[in-house]
Amino acid sequence: MMRAYRALRRRAVHPKGGSRDRDWVDPAIALGLVVGYVALLLSTVHDLGYARDEGFYFQAARSYEGWFELLFTHPDQAFTRAAVDRYWSANHEHPALMKALFALSHRFLHEKWRLFAEAGTSYRFPGMLISALGVGVTYLWARRLASRLAALVGGVSLAMMPQVFHHAHLACFDMPVAAMWLITSYAYHRALETGGVRWPLASGVLYGLLLDTKHNAWLFPPVLVAHLFLTRSRPLFTGTLRGRIAVPSALLSVAIVGPLVFYACWPWIWYDTGRRIAEWIAFHTGHEYYNMEFLGRTYWKPPMPLGYAWVMTLATVPLTTLALSAIGFGHDLVGAVRARELRTRSAPVFWTVSIFVSYAPWLSTKTPIFGGTKHWLTAYPFLCLFAAVGFERVACAVREELQRRFGHQPLRTALVEIAAALCVVVAPVAIALGAHPWGLAAYTPLVGGASGAATLGLNRTFWGYTTGAVQDFLNQRAPPRAAVYVHDTAMQSWEMMQADGRLRSDLRGTMNIHDSDFALYHHEPHMGRVEYQIWVAYGTSTPAHIGTYDGVPVVWVYERPRPR
Amino acid sequence: MPWSRRWWLFVPVLGVIELMAHFVFARRAPRPEDWPKARAPLVELRKDRELVVVAPHWAEPLARQAFGEELMPLQDVARADETSYARAIEVSVLGQSASELSGWRAVSERREGAFRFRLLENPHAANVRFDFVDGLVPERVVVRETAAEELRECRYTPNARVSTGSLPGPPTFPARRFACASGEPYFVGVTIIDDPEYRPRRCIWAHPTPGGPLRIQFSEVPLGRVIRGHAGLPWLIMRDGHGVPIELDVRVDGQSIGTLVHHDQDGWHLFEFPTGAEGRTATVEFEVRASDVRERHFCFQADTR
Repeated sequence: MMRAYRALRRRAVHPKGGSRDRDWVDPAIALGLVVGYVALLLSTVHDLGYARDEGFYFQAARSYEGWFELLFTHPDQAFTRAAVDRYWSANHEHPALMKALFALSHRFLHEKWRLFAEAGTSYRFPGMLISALGVGVTYLWARRLASRLAALVGGVSLAMMPQVFHHAHLACFDMPVAAMWLITSYAYHRALETGGVRWPLASGVLYGLLLDTKHNAWLFPPVLVAHLFLTRSRPLFTGTLRGRIAVPSALLSVAIVGPLVFYACWPWIWYDTGRRIAEWIAFHTGHEYYNMEFLGRTYWKPPMPLGYAWVMTLATVPLTTLALSAIGFGHDLVGAVRARELRTRSAPVFWTVSIFVSYAPWLSTKTPIFGGTKHWLTAYPFLCLFAAVGFERVACAVREELQRRFGHQPLRTALVEIAAALCVVVAPVAIALGAHPWGLAAYTPLVGGASGAATLGLNRTFWGYTTGAVQDFLNQRAPPRAAVYVHDTAMQSWEMMQADGRLRSDLRGTMNIHDSDFALYHHEPHMGRVEYQIWVAYGTSTPAHIGTYDGVPVVWVYERPRPR
Repeated sequence: MPWSRRWWLFVPVLGVIELMAHFVFARRAPRPEDWPKARAPLVELRKDRELVVVAPHWAEPLARQAFGEELMPLQDVARADETSYARAIEVSVLGQSASELSGWRAVSERREGAFRFRLLENPHAANVRFDFVDGLVPERVVVRETAAEELRECRYTPNARVSTGSLPGPPTFPARRFACASGEPYFVGVTIIDDPEYRPRRCIWAHPTPGGPLRIQFSEVPLGRVIRGHAGLPWLIMRDGHGVPIELDVRVDGQSIGTLVHHDQDGWHLFEFPTGAEGRTATVEFEVRASDVRERHFCFQADTR
């Protein structure tokens, strides 16, 4: 046990790469985290229904799969404009990487090799894997500044952030873009540390893939530029005066290689490139506002509440994680600012800028809030990196105190440190696992949990994934060929649940209440009008079944009374 | 040992506290299987069709499921307001109270497990003589639309085809309605709209008709001192609306007693007009009109008290 403790407590790797440790240990731990997290996600996916947007991405992935089929059989035809337009026009308001991975995963892991029994899970697998890679890289990056135990705290804190845990299951882009942002940042920072060719090249390639994941990537270059000025302003200034601008090769790689990779990996923009990229940008900068409840009020147009991002972060991120992050931030960054040593604190500066840039859009009252916390998921890995550093400070204080009181007693110190680590991760684990599969209804004790959040008027769900929580009721109760009004579940998501055998195949999903026998209702305040339509059409306001999380109704089902 | 050296204790202690708090909060609200246990005490308390109100409001679906239409009829759940109820029973959990009953006098209180039952009296209860929404029946009502400058009756049918608009569309068009020849959405029938707080409001759908005013005539109405009501359009659809105003003219025995001019942003708009004929029985007519009838999804409720 002492050997394991010493291995965990090994001091941080020297920033320049020198280490007394065997090189394989930390990668092995990171790999273990990745594999373990994927296993956890897979084991908890079966009662999580398919979100609305997942249905759209399933449909797009099926289309892209057709293109891959053409590529494998008739590659010369695959690159024609007609083929590209035919297969890649689906959902072209979002770039292609994740949907292409969904398609390939479905084709090989479900259709061909039957590794996944459920098609839906095969679509979800790439998102899970990339999310898990994010957890592993959090560990690796934290390890460069902290002990293994502290790095583990950082990785587990990210993995078990309740909303991260939820989004990591989905065939969507929100957790993947957060993971890719982190991974790209790590590669970029390694490039700054080591120079050479490998890491700068990787930075550019990864940035291209980040751009191909989701449009949050537009905010990434400002992070690099800001970091450069904060940590290298003097050499940049003096170099400029001497006629030499020392721009890091990694930054050049991001600027040059990144867009090339982005272009190569998104067939839709191979043709009519300028117009299609402009269309993509215009879609997201002019996105329609959807409804979102916040503190008992539904917002559907600006001005949006300035406190939204901060309050929702406090309400959904475990307080222990935030406290550790604050300690890490205070120790590393504030200390460096005071000592005017930002250059020597390059990584924490990078993390800080990433967090700030991720949240910055919500300094404007015009920024939409309809996506809830997923809007700034890109900040969370960096919060957890600070949490790792924060725990390292806690562990140091523990060692000093125990040394002072009891002298050199490594076993006692080991136990106390491990106990402290368990204390700081156990609440996130309990909240995340306890909230599954309710996901977005997970709120921390700071706001009184789910019931406190409901009383405060905070959003409980959107995207219709909670149909998974009432699937058993429908399967058991509905007569043959019953029509079910699907409400906020996309029809494509409903059909996937049937294809996977989660819902009976004879049940008929419908978008019409008046023709239905059962009606789902996914609650948000503005959706109330749908419920009232059900009341009048069915002649009853008594739900037949309610899915609750910690006693709070989230989704319910009405059954049309049948004539006696 | 100075506290400054013990600061590190704060973090693991915080972790344990957060864990314990999580379990406490996770278990404090009653579960769905607990709510039926509240039915029997409620039945005992409810002697005279008292309004049943649930606090916090988010628990209401659980109450509706457990108590059913007998204790929570649709007329109560989708009520216009609380003024017409002399008494209410508040069923509350987690120490919450219903804000809509603030100012009511507590008559009795009882606890059963996680549930608190309070019988409350309305200090200003209205004496409703006649409810026009409940009274929208063919035996008493005639509906006419204006077409080519003539009045044309909108015939009652109990079996019209029910249609629903889902999220972006109009409220449910009910089976029982006075259907005008101009076709949907021109009819008069009882439905439910959402108000500016997305609460349900049961009301008379009265979309102004394209040829001229829509008239809804109630015969033999026992009049009170005032005719009071609310009017609105489905909030989610009309909250950004800039449609033309809708006028609701109220007439007693042919004489106008008041006109409500409703704009989209007025929400669930209260009106009250003195009848000048308290104690009498009269014909009451509601005339609905708009200069442009496109998407004028007008719905009103009224009573005389």
